[in-house]
Amino acid sequence: MLWTEKYNPKNFDEVLGNAKAKDEIEDWINAWILGEHPKPLLLVGPPGTGKTTLAHLAAQEFADSIELNASDKRSYDILLRTIGEASATGSLFNQGLKLIILDEVDGIHGTDDRGGVRAISKIIKEGHHPLIMMANDPYSKRIKSLKTKCQVINIKKVHTNSIVALLKRICIKEGVDFEEHVLRTLAKQSKGDLRSAINDLEIMARGKKSITSADLEMISKKDDIHNIFDSVRTVLKSKNPQRIRDAMRVEADPAFILELITENVPREYEKKDEIEEAYEMISQADTYLGRAFQTRNYGYWKYTYDLMSLGVALSKDETYRKFTRYANSSVYTLLSKSRAKRDLRDRVADKIGEKTHSSRRVVREQFPCLEMMFQDNDLARELADYFNLDDAEVKLFRSRKIPKRKKAKPKKSSQKDTGNKVEKKESSAVVKREGKKEKEVKPQKSPKKTKSTTKKSKPSQNKDVKNLAKEKEASNEKNSTKKKPSNPEDKEKQVSLFSFK
Amino acid sequence: MQGPWVEKYRPQTLDEVVGQDHIIPRLKRYVEEGNMPNLMFTGPAGVGKTTTALALAKEMLGEYWRQNFLELNASDARGIDTVRNDIKNFSRLKSVGAPFRIIFLDEVDNMTKDAQHALRREMEMYTKTSSFILSCNYSSKIIDPIQSRCAIFRFTPIKGSQIIKRLKIIAEAENVTATAGALESIVYFAEGDMRRAVNILQASSTIDNQITEESVHEVISKAKPQDVRKIINSALDGKFMEARDLLREVMVVQGTSGEDMITQIYREVSKMAMEGLLDQETYIDLIENIGKFDYRIREGSNPRIQLEALLTKFLLKGKES
Repeated sequence: MLWTEKYNPKNFDEVLGNAKAKDEIEDWINAWILGEHPKPLLLVGPPGTGKTTLAHLAAQEFADSIELNASDKRSYDILLRTIGEASATGSLFNQGLKLIILDEVDGIHGTDDRGGVRAISKIIKEGHHPLIMMANDPYSKRIKSLKTKCQVINIKKVHTNSIVALLKRICIKEGVDFEEHVLRTLAKQSKGDLRSAINDLEIMARGKKSITSADLEMISKKDDIHNIFDSVRTVLKSKNPQRIRDAMRVEADPAFILELITENVPREYEKKDEIEEAYEMISQADTYLGRAFQTRNYGYWKYTYDLMSLGVALSKDETYRKFTRYANSSVYTLLSKSRAKRDLRDRVADKIGEKTHSSRRVVREQFPCLEMMFQDNDLARELADYFNLDDAEVKLFRSRKIPKRKKAKPKKSSQKDTGNKVEKKESSAVVKREGKKEKEVKPQKSPKKTKSTTKKSKPSQNKDVKNLAKEKEASNEKNSTKKKPSNPEDKEKQVSLFSFK
Repeated sequence: MQGPWVEKYRPQTLDEVVGQDHIIPRLKRYVEEGNMPNLMFTGPAGVGKTTTALALAKEMLGEYWRQNFLELNASDARGIDTVRNDIKNFSRLKSVGAPFRIIFLDEVDNMTKDAQHALRREMEMYTKTSSFILSCNYSSKIIDPIQSRCAIFRFTPIKGSQIIKRLKIIAEAENVTATAGALESIVYFAEGDMRRAVNILQASSTIDNQITEESVHEVISKAKPQDVRKIINSALDGKFMEARDLLREVMVVQGTSGEDMITQIYREVSKMAMEGLLDQETYIDLIENIGKFDYRIREGSNPRIQLEALLTKFLLKGKES
């Protein structure tokens, strides 16, 4: 039996601290027993302060109890079914009161627990049965609506002295010799969490005759999770290895920490060679990160951590005495701002990749050339058809719409979009250009056409490709004969290749 | 409707494939025997790995090759589970109208080691019904067990003369002309990459039916990553934040790849040295660093962070302040 269970209080008197809370709970129980229906209890307090213990002690006073905690799925239906049944069966006899315990109500969330809080509210409203709920975070939004309907009891951390006293009692009962300061350190480290203090003591003392300060080293300090910006500040401001190592105990992805340190190095460091040296460390840290990801050998992470913390910290000559406002990485803002653009790019790359047997990356490298090809109206039309791109997707490569084919419906497109001024201007420009093009191209037109027909009749090697294309694109076959005029005017319209703005 | 020239003029048979003379005869022998082991094609981009795989599949599988050929892109944002499911669903059934089935997996080197191990099991499971063709840029990034299960074919960059020959054929078929200088420029910029060469040719042809060196240069200058000189100069001037912001803009928003960026940085630095803007010692020092970060990027690091680190080297070389 674990010591935490073995030394669990057997009655309210044994519970350490929180005298007022104990009184309130006992009053509440008595009210139920006297046939009243007081509001449900909501016990709020940090872990290890005795909330569950108190609830269990309360349960002893009732005929029966059921308990649900975070590990049970608590969706609306499940809650109502489980607890609803309990309510129905219990109400036959007055003395058969059934206590309902809902642990960690602030943890009700996600899809599994859909409607959980709503179900609880409903049960409270019916109010046939005593209900005790527990939560860690008094400010949790999830329990905000519950708080008004409950009697809230704050459970406070247990005082260090009380913890020491309890640890002493346990040692004596277990027959373990102890040094008082060891127990005091244990109690302090637990930060009011009685359960963890007893657990730590058990790890140190179980099966032994005595405990000394040497045993304390087995117990890792309770990991204090740092705020990530505090960690970045420590790395950039400090040169103390111990403090820097401590600062790396943050709960965050190393790539994210690295990104934040990287972002702020040139904000803190002023000398060129400091920035350069820090970046050398960052570069190496990043290399190990990549290696860890590629090989799935996360042992490499330790080098990443050391290089990006100590390595960067020691790159400065002196610590700077100034206030620096640290910033989140601009990469993240850029990423979220360009999201729509990148999605479009990926979508287009996928479509093109399907036709050209290439990955996104390979297609993207061809974007500049494609952009130039799309400046030619006829070629643009053909490519858009071939790749099955819609108007929005074509916009990635050219700023204006592709005019409809002249033969079919001449100038319709230019008449159509006379919506706003810009469009009007654009379309008139298109008309002008088309006129010019007509002139220039005419002499070339006839040989071109014959060329394309000869190609068609030839039993070409491209037959397979054609068949292939036909299989998929049979519906789009209409644009098979096409002239391909040179169009010097279009040059002006070409936008800079990489600006998809 | 035949798509861009890269697709329209993609070789359809093994005989048509350009430039891989040491590989094609061996593959043709597989076709004659009507059997093939698992294959791995490794080599840089645009040298014919996919084309060869497609051509081989057609000749190997015959009329019903489409039904018996599965093409998967390992590098795209698809998890190994998707890939496995696709392979499983495809390989479970016996081939119809062909001696066996072929699974073509592209860019295997971009798969994680875990995914590669999973792939290896798939390869073992379906040996009776299917053969695999894997393609990658760097065979060093492929786990040994996969390498040992494949016959490895190393594709080499295509020679300039062979690219020119091919470009001439395409130009003629498309009724465009190209000067010798234009073709030379294309070849210089393509660096043995046929796909890039054909794309530049077609893009140039949209400027003018008579392709000249000038039109090619216009295409090339638009096709390369922009703002690189500006980034370098900002760093040299000691304005690191400015340089870094611009670099991030180009890479994150415009989506330029790290390898493209570093190639362009190399080119710009070489040009600056030739223009006398950098002394020899600074130049060689920078080249050493460019090479170092290029290597780290190819090792699988975050290209943007590595390039930012490279910029600090320029920062140090700048005018003393």
